[in-house]
Amino acid sequence: MSGVSISVEGARKSFAGCEALKGVSLEFGAGRMHGIIGPEGSGKTTLLRLILGLLSPTSGAARYFEDGRPVAFESLRPSLAYMPQTQSLYPDLSIQEHLEFFRDLYGIGAADYSRKREELLSITRLGEFVERPAGQLSGGMYKKLALMCALLRSPRVMILDEPTTGVDPISRRELWDLLYRLLDQNILILVTTAYLDEAERCSMVHLLEGGLVVACGEPRALLEREGAGSFDELFLRRAAVRPA
Amino acid sequence: MTFVPARAGAVARKEWFHIRRDPFTLALALVLPLLMVIVYGVAIDFNVKEIHLAVSDLDQSQASRRLIDTFSSSHYFRPRPEASAALATADLSDERARAALIIPPRFEKDLLAGRGAKVQILLDGADNSTVGPISQYVASIQALASRRLAGVDPSPPYQLRTRFLFNPELNSRWFVIPGLTVVIMAILSIFLTALTVAREWENGSMELLLSTPVEPIEIIVGKAAPYAALGILATAFVYVIARGVFGVPFAGHLWVFALGCLLFLVTYLAQGLLISVLTRQQTIAMQFSMLTGMLPSNLLSGFIFPIASMPRLFWYLTMLLPARWFMVISRHAFLEGSGFSELAVPFAALALSCATMVALAARSFRRTLE
Amino acid sequence: MSEAAVVEARGLVVRYGDFTAVDRISFAVGRGEIFGFLGANGAGKTTTIRVLCGLLPPSEGGVSMAGVGYEQGERAIKEKVGYMSQRFTLYNDLTVGENLDFIASLRKLEPAAYRRRRRELLELIAFDKPMSAMVRDLSGGIKQQVSLAAALLHDPEIVFLDEPTAGVTPVGRERFWGLIRRVAGGGKTVFVTTHYMDEAEQCGRVALMREGRLVALDSPAGLKKTVFPEPVFEFDPIGRLSFDKLSAYKTHEAFSFFESYGPRFHAAAASPELWAAWAPRLEKLFRIRPIAPSLEDVFIRVVEARR
Repeated sequence: MSGVSISVEGARKSFAGCEALKGVSLEFGAGRMHGIIGPEGSGKTTLLRLILGLLSPTSGAARYFEDGRPVAFESLRPSLAYMPQTQSLYPDLSIQEHLEFFRDLYGIGAADYSRKREELLSITRLGEFVERPAGQLSGGMYKKLALMCALLRSPRVMILDEPTTGVDPISRRELWDLLYRLLDQNILILVTTAYLDEAERCSMVHLLEGGLVVACGEPRALLEREGAGSFDELFLRRAAVRPA
Repeated sequence: MTFVPARAGAVARKEWFHIRRDPFTLALALVLPLLMVIVYGVAIDFNVKEIHLAVSDLDQSQASRRLIDTFSSSHYFRPRPEASAALATADLSDERARAALIIPPRFEKDLLAGRGAKVQILLDGADNSTVGPISQYVASIQALASRRLAGVDPSPPYQLRTRFLFNPELNSRWFVIPGLTVVIMAILSIFLTALTVAREWENGSMELLLSTPVEPIEIIVGKAAPYAALGILATAFVYVIARGVFGVPFAGHLWVFALGCLLFLVTYLAQGLLISVLTRQQTIAMQFSMLTGMLPSNLLSGFIFPIASMPRLFWYLTMLLPARWFMVISRHAFLEGSGFSELAVPFAALALSCATMVALAARSFRRTLE
Repeated sequence: MSEAAVVEARGLVVRYGDFTAVDRISFAVGRGEIFGFLGANGAGKTTTIRVLCGLLPPSEGGVSMAGVGYEQGERAIKEKVGYMSQRFTLYNDLTVGENLDFIASLRKLEPAAYRRRRRELLELIAFDKPMSAMVRDLSGGIKQQVSLAAALLHDPEIVFLDEPTAGVTPVGRERFWGLIRRVAGGGKTVFVTTHYMDEAEQCGRVALMREGRLVALDSPAGLKKTVFPEPVFEFDPIGRLSFDKLSAYKTHEAFSFFESYGPRFHAAAASPELWAAWAPRLEKLFRIRPIAPSLEDVFIRVVEARR
């Protein structure tokens, strides 16, 4: 098994008496696109932050593997890329300035940088806007810039928290295309989404609800198993059987 | 913990972009020093001349007349003879005088007998802006008077005379402007840095920064650097104005002053960062920096109110205040030309608070969102 | 224009300097209609809505909102229109009652009429919490429902909902759409912008904007029929093909449309002959099954094709 894989074992996380994760165990196999889907407050963001070392679990752990061998988180940190759900760029800095800032933070060489920059700008079609401040970009362009910043050094793990929220269908498709391109480079991708129709675009989905994993699997197989036509239907049905 | 200068540099460069584009920061950094120099240097004149001094001389001796003469010859006081202590006090309450001097009947006798003669000086405490300078004048004149009254002292009191030379006209500007560097540096460093980390939190960019390989120490150094530069620039600006426009003498060594500046600046930058890291919100950070930085450096540093005349509790409190120590260094460097040996205590205190603050700031900066 | 038109735009043009944000738009919307307003970010949707809400007089053309236009003044238009934005609607640190009172006083509603209207609306949204509940303690879905009630407080004939369900759970969204249908059923005209294509499907008619122009306007089913007259298929790659290889099919002669849909693709045949010629070879690489085009396919084809 080549590439990075991550496993989460019995992760619990409480904030001030409120339990956001109630014992989550998941396997994120290498080189695939894993969708973590679930309603608001199901613990998606908390799970990602645990994996990123931004939060420490109350109990349980996330373990990291490289080509099947366990590795320490710190050794993996440089190859992790993250795109937070909330706006996380600097509204007064231009696209160009963002790219240069992250180039220096990651210590990317000049040749590498200019090649990567050209490539990303042509894929995202942001080339003509490089001087525009992030605060003046549309929702889709903003997300694409955030993704560019994350992809500037070639990461081995890409973690995205609701990358397509508030983005029009065309930009959404472009974002997904960008992610699919990454899969060719054997990158592990974890992505959360609130658009349930996007669940079908992942190679694996992990359904979270109330801090627990309720189902996992290849999207279509999962729907067949649950006897639902779509993820929307699946969620509505689960909500109906659950006491209000 | 590794430190990669390039990453700190990247943070510093980005911070510089923010500063350049934020009119508020720029205005604070550039206009504030100018404004303060104008306000404190030109508009507010702490010099108080021709202070009416109600004098009740109950001794009517040679010694008592000499004492009164010392006051009147300083040109700062205009004696107004009164028949009794009660009348002199009444002058104060009726605002016919700002200060009252009451010489008891046995003044000369006690003096000659070496029993330690006592006179009473009453100040109008209602007027805060003048009570400070007046009490300073009184203190100086008292020192002078005690020498003169000793009579027998053969050699002109060398030390005393030099002390007057620091500020022979008792010019308040000479006293205020070296202090102004302290206040301006305090405001710039603590205010601006307190906002910067909090802004990253509010912006949501902190989450992204923390997920990159950048180390906390690199963020701290990178963020502090541009503000340090601004602080140094503002200090240089005040120094130039002090020397050029107000003609304040600079008696000391520039590098003594510079080292003091640097220590002070780093202390307050670290304090600002500490506030920012702990509060994570710009509005709260702003209030905290007002409370712990601006107000004390204005009120408790000896800038306006003399520390010696503060209540005991506050007097002890000022010992914890970096601004108080830097105030001593700045004034001495300007007016007295003191070196490290004379300023050992303030320098030691400043270095200690600097080290403490940097350690606190670095420790408080966590790599997680908790 | 039909007599029943409640919203009417006639040749709207909005210019900002040299830039034309809205370029000669005309349409009419009837009473009780749910009208979806779609377009890429920056296509001119928001500007158009601002004009229709009485917030921005057009450079050219005019509007008629329940019979009122800019000739009668911006305030007259605002009387007829309710607006609910995705970002700011209610004060988090006020209670539900305080929020509604505040809006009522802004709108200068009669106390008796306000109380009656408030009771009706809270019944409509089935609000079961006390008036003294703080807005910040409400869930995202309930907050959206209260926002809707706030937008309807002055009994406008037209209500604009700007991405009303962004960040709301599937269950909350379903409930909210139930409310929208009831509001429309009660005779109000509802304008909705959304990025969720499954929500757009629930609109009576959908308008698509691109670069300041109206490029399509029809019912979802009608749009699918006119935009995709040819059959549409889903292509599911059998082996693992590189993204670049797959993308190459976009310009393949067999397809008039070939767009990614996650790991799969939606495709339309260029012509029956070419399809017949290529199908055997393609079937070795893909599992192919016929599907109905999605509204997203329509969106992409209409907005992208003429680039």
